[in-house]
Amino acid sequence: MKALAAARRILAETLEGAQIAAENLVAARLRSFLTTLGIVIGVMTVIAIVAIIQGLNKSFEGQIATLGAHTLYVSKWAWFAEGRDAWWELRNRKDLGAKELQAVEREATLATAIAPMAMTQADLKRDTFEAPNVQLIGTNAQYLTTGGGTVGAGRFLAETDVELTRSTAVIGADVADRLFPGLQPGQVLGRKLMIGEVPFQVVGVMERRGQLLGMNMDANAMVPYTAFLRHFGGKRSLNLAVSGEPDNLSALEDQVVEILRRVRRVPPEKKDDFTLNRQEQFLRTYNQLTGSLYAVAFGVGLITLIVGGIGIMNIMIVSVTERTREIGVRRALGARRTTILLQFLVESSIVAAIGGAIGTALGLGLAQVVALASPLAATVSASAVALGIGFSAAVGLVFGSWPAWRAARLDPVEALRHE
Amino acid sequence: MSAVGEPLIVVESLHRHYTVGGEVVRALDGVSFGITRGEWVAIVGQSGSGKSTLMNVLGCLDTPTSGTYRLNGADVQGLTDDQLASLRNKEIGFVFQTFQLLPRATALGNVMLPLVYRGVPKRQRRAMAEEALAAVGLTNRLNHRPNELSGGQRQRVAIARALVGQPSMLLADEPTGNLDSATGEEIIRLFSELHHRGHTILLVTHEPKLAARCPRAIRLMDGHVVADGAGAAVAGLGTSAPVPA
Repeated sequence: MKALAAARRILAETLEGAQIAAENLVAARLRSFLTTLGIVIGVMTVIAIVAIIQGLNKSFEGQIATLGAHTLYVSKWAWFAEGRDAWWELRNRKDLGAKELQAVEREATLATAIAPMAMTQADLKRDTFEAPNVQLIGTNAQYLTTGGGTVGAGRFLAETDVELTRSTAVIGADVADRLFPGLQPGQVLGRKLMIGEVPFQVVGVMERRGQLLGMNMDANAMVPYTAFLRHFGGKRSLNLAVSGEPDNLSALEDQVVEILRRVRRVPPEKKDDFTLNRQEQFLRTYNQLTGSLYAVAFGVGLITLIVGGIGIMNIMIVSVTERTREIGVRRALGARRTTILLQFLVESSIVAAIGGAIGTALGLGLAQVVALASPLAATVSASAVALGIGFSAAVGLVFGSWPAWRAARLDPVEALRHE
Repeated sequence: MSAVGEPLIVVESLHRHYTVGGEVVRALDGVSFGITRGEWVAIVGQSGSGKSTLMNVLGCLDTPTSGTYRLNGADVQGLTDDQLASLRNKEIGFVFQTFQLLPRATALGNVMLPLVYRGVPKRQRRAMAEEALAAVGLTNRLNHRPNELSGGQRQRVAIARALVGQPSMLLADEPTGNLDSATGEEIIRLFSELHHRGHTILLVTHEPKLAARCPRAIRLMDGHVVADGAGAAVAGLGTSAPVPA
């Protein structure tokens, strides 16, 4: 019974503290507002930054998935080159060509799909309609399996298209829109278009894919690589997309490296003169980037929360001084030191938490504004909101503890006599 | 509450010394007296006589330097701060000169406050507070804030707050000091009524007229009891001829 009474007393005292806090907040609106401003700004900044980072993450992860998680992109170019001389070194590497493709096709037993990718920019035309700067990819039927997307209408390139060097093309959704405005993808099939000066026939339209790192994935056109090499230059370096089972991707990597080193006659003491690019390299680089952004957000948040906390401490000291007599009265009526401590802690954390809530709301608003005004997306998880408010309350608790302790230490006789 | 007549307060050679600027001030210098349950006692004396210090000690807001103070059979000496707080909450009802109500709380809220610190459930708190306010004639002012009440009404709220926890005694410090004489008279009549209902009341005052109204008065001077007897006698005696305590 005694424990129950004590629990009830502490609950009642906490509620009483919350009520006092609410009354003081309302009684001194302007002061409360100014007090919490530091917290509001801090939380707003952090929430906005986190919202944008999380938005980026979400869209990035969605985009990166389209690259094909189990695919090695073999190229003379590295996606992430490092060092000053890297570009020249890459530039001077031997091109990859049909020889490498055939060797990999013949010997890479662990590969589940192998697609060459010869790439260039091309202008596409139909009558008066134009689609400039389209990413033209010369490839084969296995391109889809390596992560090239899915077909929305018609079919993809077939083995025979490659073998017979047919002038067939599969076009991206944006290209279809530009060249055949108002037509459904199905209605485009069989139509002719010009790639540069060469006529091609549309056999398929790709499903819309959206953007990858600001790159439009729908402004492309796929043709048989044999046709590509014939019409758009046979000297171009090929890229190879090589897919494998998720479990033995590294074995596949070793196999491909071994094949290419042999075919390209790389002496044992020399480094590879080609690169196996992986989707996860994107993720790694990206995570490094967002990691530093998080660190910045954390630093900014910490500093502003400390500033906000000092504001709260300041106002709580004023509040304790103003209410010294009230503290004396409460002590006379039977409030313990811990009661007074609790009362002021509840007050400072409520003030801070309200500041945190306002800051969170403003931060979300700011993130939405940024999302509308720029290509950045913004999403916020419930945990970020809870963290913002919870962290603010914790700041209130920490910075309110010294004034609260001072209030609790007051001598009741002195406090009652205070003018 | 126990029966009238049992000793409630026993004070023996109570000392309370302060050190101010290296000099020892003997605010209480060997004070002894007893108060039985149901008494209405005035503690009189000029400012500096030690009556405020005595009130603080009797109110368990302050602890004596030496001597014993037994309240309701319990020795106050050596109690922890929390125990003192709990003792104040249960045994003592304070009434202050300046009322000391919380400005933002209603009459009801003010009166309920001591019960919050006792852990009384809310519904019961409310019922007890309403009852206490009814006892001081403020049934129709439950939801008024202090600034919506007259001085006399505020002091009644304060008295209701002192009464609500059914303490062993009311400790009133110059309760009429901030009131006009008509209102002060009203409050004194209320105390008189409470006295007749069996409450123990200690009234600290410097007004001889007020002390004369009490059945008993104790006069302090320079930290000593210089007179203890019938209120009218002590009030009229002045400071020259102490009645043995």
